[in-house]
Amino acid sequence: MKVLVVDDSATMRRIIIKNLNDAGFSDTVEAENGIEAISRMAGVELVLTDWNMPVMDGLSFVKEIRRNTAYANVPIVMITSIGAKKEVVEALKQGVNNYIVKPFTPAILIEKVKSVIPN
Amino acid sequence: MDVKYINHFISAVNNTFTTMLGSSPERQGLSLKQHHVAQGDISSIIGFAGKLAHGSVALSFPQETALKIHAVMTGETLDKLNKDVQDTVGEIVNIIAGGAKTEFDQEGLSFHISIPTVVVGKDHTIIHKGSTPIVLLPFTWEGCSFVMEISLKLEGTPRRPIRQLAGEAF
Ligand SMILES: [Mg+2]
Repeated sequence: MKVLVVDDSATMRRIIIKNLNDAGFSDTVEAENGIEAISRMAGVELVLTDWNMPVMDGLSFVKEIRRNTAYANVPIVMITSIGAKKEVVEALKQGVNNYIVKPFTPAILIEKVKSVIPN
Repeated sequence: MDVKYINHFISAVNNTFTTMLGSSPERQGLSLKQHHVAQGDISSIIGFAGKLAHGSVALSFPQETALKIHAVMTGETLDKLNKDVQDTVGEIVNIIAGGAKTEFDQEGLSFHISIPTVVVGKDHTIIHKGSTPIVLLPFTWEGCSFVMEISLKLEGTPRRPIRQLAGEAF
């Protein structure tokens, strides 16, 4: 399963990809903002995206890909430091399937990832 | 600024360190900072902007502390404050700012947080905009030190004099 990891922090991408690899998800691609992420969408079966990023933030990226019928059903997990209710609700409304608040443990990350993919 | 608002930042620091770095830091006190010179070798600052609250939070780390945080988070041991360490420091402050934002939000004080800015070098400056007092909170973690600076202005909320706050042990 090809997983796209979007975060402006290289350190955070590294941590997320390591956790994914440890759980058996070895096919990953990275992007550091929404624009770059859109260009990496081909063949992607799961998206993990940050919210707070320069150039194009995570919410705008989610809106963009949900507008594209080719990606309308790709599961998306948002991983962000913002845990405020209003923002979580907004993200889900825009088509995010699950939501992880940073800081997170590897167990939480993998649990939420597994909750949005077909087994 | 009420003490409970400072506690939102302190609990965000504790939560971030405990979850991402495996152990919580100890807070060493509280004072007011009157100048803009950073205490550490690397700092990251994030701004807040909202109708009822605005300001900024910064964390400043000696090189030793920043390198240790980077090593624990990534498994990579480095000996200078390169781009990767700067990224780590910016992301730690992003997580702390987001954590505090979440707690403020529960009290009806919502604001947006900016993208972190990272500055490196001896005696660099940390500029909190405006004339709001800067609260300085020193911490130790795993034998290393760092400080958090908070400058937060709340609109329309009762405020106690900042001098009284600084003299309080909580
Ligand atoms: Mg980010």
